[in-house]
Amino acid sequence: MCPVLGHLDGRFESADAEAEHRIAVLYQEFGGPLLRHVRKSTGNDLQWAEDVVQETLVRAWRNSARLQWEPSLIWAWLLTVARRIVIDGRRRKSVRPQEVEPPEVDMMSVPDGSERALSAMVVADALRSLSEEHRQVIEHTYLRDRTISEAAEILGIPPGTVKSRLYYGIRALRELLRDKGVAG
Amino acid sequence: MHDGVAAYVLGVLDDEEHEAFERHLDTCERCQAELVELAELPDQLDELKNSPSSTSGDDPPMSMSH
Ligand SMILES: [Zn+2]
Repeated sequence: MCPVLGHLDGRFESADAEAEHRIAVLYQEFGGPLLRHVRKSTGNDLQWAEDVVQETLVRAWRNSARLQWEPSLIWAWLLTVARRIVIDGRRRKSVRPQEVEPPEVDMMSVPDGSERALSAMVVADALRSLSEEHRQVIEHTYLRDRTISEAAEILGIPPGTVKSRLYYGIRALRELLRDKGVAG
Repeated sequence: MHDGVAAYVLGVLDDEEHEAFERHLDTCERCQAELVELAELPDQLDELKNSPSSTSGDDPPMSMSH
């Protein structure tokens, strides 16, 4: 049974009351974990992270049919929605190239610095063992906050090719990281 | 269409395509399953984005092969 939609039928006198209740339940179920998650990608900007969580949950509430999915799928979807909101925000913020975020500050603000450095190395290793084509599209899209179309233009290959290489590249990366015991 | 799931989970589709893929996701169990599998992979790539050695200048994050 989905924890979000549970048995709501007939318990509320108005649609408003039910909507309010659902948002409260969404926050209760996902707010905390989502905030912890989002904070990692907003640096230590808690305010920004809270805004992202709020917007994510509002979108979830607007697409409430999806809240009938299994919890693991809801969670995966919420992470994706939140990530997209963060990326949009970052793209808006950095009209200028990434001159912000001095690395030293970044290091200090991250409590588990050495663990992170280690897993960064593991991920870098995995990326290196991908084929050139696969590594290239991952690098030119996600790692540089670029869309498929932007990367396609820069690389001079069709967007559909970028998309499909990205798919196989990401699958391969996932396998490699799973073999290393990093991915769940 | 199914191969859009990687671009979707990474958040690198244009708005229109992103929404189109989300509609596909509503009815495609295969992509739903893959989304669950891939959901945390971008966080692992973030480790790389955030690591000090890769945030510098214009060099590609992975430019170790010269
Ligand atoms: Zn599909």
